[in-house]
Amino acid sequence: MDQTDILNIWKAYDKKLEETLSLNRQLTVEVTRLKTKSLLKSMTPIKGFTLLVGMGWVTAGTIIISNLFRYAYDSVSPFFLISATIQIGLTAIALGIYLYQLVLIHHVDISNTLLKTQKRLANLKSSTLWSARILFLQLPVWTTFYLSQDMFQSGNLAYIIINCAVTLVALAISLWLFVHIRYANREKKWFKYIFEGREWSPVIRAMELNDEIKSFERE
Amino acid sequence: MNQEEQFLSVLEDNKGILYKLANAYCRDIEDRKDLVQEMVFQLWKSFDNYHQTYKVSTWMYRVALNVAISFYRKDHKRKGQTDSITDSILNLTESGVSTDEEQRLLLLQQFISELKELDKAVMLLYLEEKSHRVIAEIVGLSESNVGTKINRIKTTLTQKFSTIKNQY
Repeated sequence: MDQTDILNIWKAYDKKLEETLSLNRQLTVEVTRLKTKSLLKSMTPIKGFTLLVGMGWVTAGTIIISNLFRYAYDSVSPFFLISATIQIGLTAIALGIYLYQLVLIHHVDISNTLLKTQKRLANLKSSTLWSARILFLQLPVWTTFYLSQDMFQSGNLAYIIINCAVTLVALAISLWLFVHIRYANREKKWFKYIFEGREWSPVIRAMELNDEIKSFERE
Repeated sequence: MNQEEQFLSVLEDNKGILYKLANAYCRDIEDRKDLVQEMVFQLWKSFDNYHQTYKVSTWMYRVALNVAISFYRKDHKRKGQTDSITDSILNLTESGVSTDEEQRLLLLQQFISELKELDKAVMLLYLEEKSHRVIAEIVGLSESNVGTKINRIKTTLTQKFSTIKNQY
């Protein structure tokens, strides 16, 4: 079979479609009358729910912490105040980045060339990894928020050493993940372990397409 | 003619494009139905922004191919904008095509579906007998690059056909 034969097969297919394909006009009109859904409505329920919970957490956390700073600064442990501020701050940054990327993805011009559109979509989706990197940075503060000054002044030395060790380990892990969660490590076992699951699969597929685009442009 | 009628007329004239692209990118019948609806929805959404700098078919190929490529990167469980519609926009009635011809078409479709997503787009446009310039406009490559890719993909396809032929 040569190239002309292949083109002839396609022509026959075309002819067949011309004779037998029909457009359901009524259904097409229904589709044109569908309203564009808002960004939130176009998300999966779990993603929308997670975002709402995240926003609720950040809002409530901000209100509580700012009130504690203003009215109860002397009576609350500084460990709690600083840990909670870092946690809420990092969650807010991660949510902000995630939402901003979702808005950009929602507004990508789909009538542009395939390479431009797909590159933009793939880059935006891959960069949602930034949210994960920032969220992992808050790991150490989960080991410090319950500490108090009393504990250091009159507490058991072994308990203090263990706590400090745990915090240092958490800090090392979070910094390591912050540096290493990136596209280049997508084939590593630990990376696949963290990012397995349905919610992350579009991001992983976007990275694969990024690879495909690069090799497509090189060839 | 109002905008909706204009859009319907454009779709009517080019319905084959949507069918062939959806068929090449989506082998599952139910998913394909969703893909065609998503293509129509996105075409309608961007119909306002269509400038006559390009031919209507160029605009249509761009949107439909972008949707087809993106569609597969979405979570399949995710419902699109058109999840309330369950019927099919494009319907095919049986025709009397010879079995041999049908068989060769199925093989060609299978080989095309095995191509990478962007190679698939280039090959489909070549089969649609689009010039290198038009393919370059749709894909976003240079004309010479398009030519190189087409030659490589054509060679792959003919080799696949030869392998099948040698097996029988």
